[in-house]
Amino acid sequence: MIFGFSIQEIIACLLMGAGLIFLIGSMVGMLRLPDYYSRVHASGNSETLGTLLVFLGLIVYNGYSNVSAKIFIVALFVFLGNPIGSHILAKAAYRTGHPVWTQKQAVQHELSTEPTSSVTTAEEKEAQAHADLHN
Amino acid sequence: MVVLVMTIGLMMQRLFQGPTVFDRMNGLGVITADTILLIVLFGFLDKQPGMYVDLAMAYAMMGCLGSVVLAKYLGGKKL
Repeated sequence: MIFGFSIQEIIACLLMGAGLIFLIGSMVGMLRLPDYYSRVHASGNSETLGTLLVFLGLIVYNGYSNVSAKIFIVALFVFLGNPIGSHILAKAAYRTGHPVWTQKQAVQHELSTEPTSSVTTAEEKEAQAHADLHN
Repeated sequence: MVVLVMTIGLMMQRLFQGPTVFDRMNGLGVITADTILLIVLFGFLDKQPGMYVDLAMAYAMMGCLGSVVLAKYLGGKKL
């Protein structure tokens, strides 16, 4: 007994906390990454690991009983279904010619979103000055 | 629980304004996995986890099969 909790509850709480950290990482990756393939990477790996860790924590919390066997079967279904779904979705996207994000596109995107308006306005000012001189 | 509900809400955003069809499918799979977790955790909060775990088992089977079948439909014949 440590701080009023048994060792079983403490191990279960640690496992579920680690699983929730992985779930939060998967969510941030899904929302922030630039490409479909990187997003499916984020969801496919860390979502499965986080779900399995939370189920393992629940099994440890519940002890040796009938419900633990059922939770193990549910975790087995998630462990089979989630990576197969991610893999087959990525394969379908690649077969249908979904564009792959590369470093070149990233550099072009950064160059296009840089403050190019100031450069163009400076060039326009120079052009206007030359035009004024020639006139 | 709070983290799972937040995840489901943000995946709804990815589901409704995803750029492609595959993004929507991916968000649907993530929502399925989180809903299974949410059902089992609610069963433990309700002090009768046996019934809710059976519900989660059925939902896990449906989610697995549905994701694979829809991906096959989207990806064409040779998959």
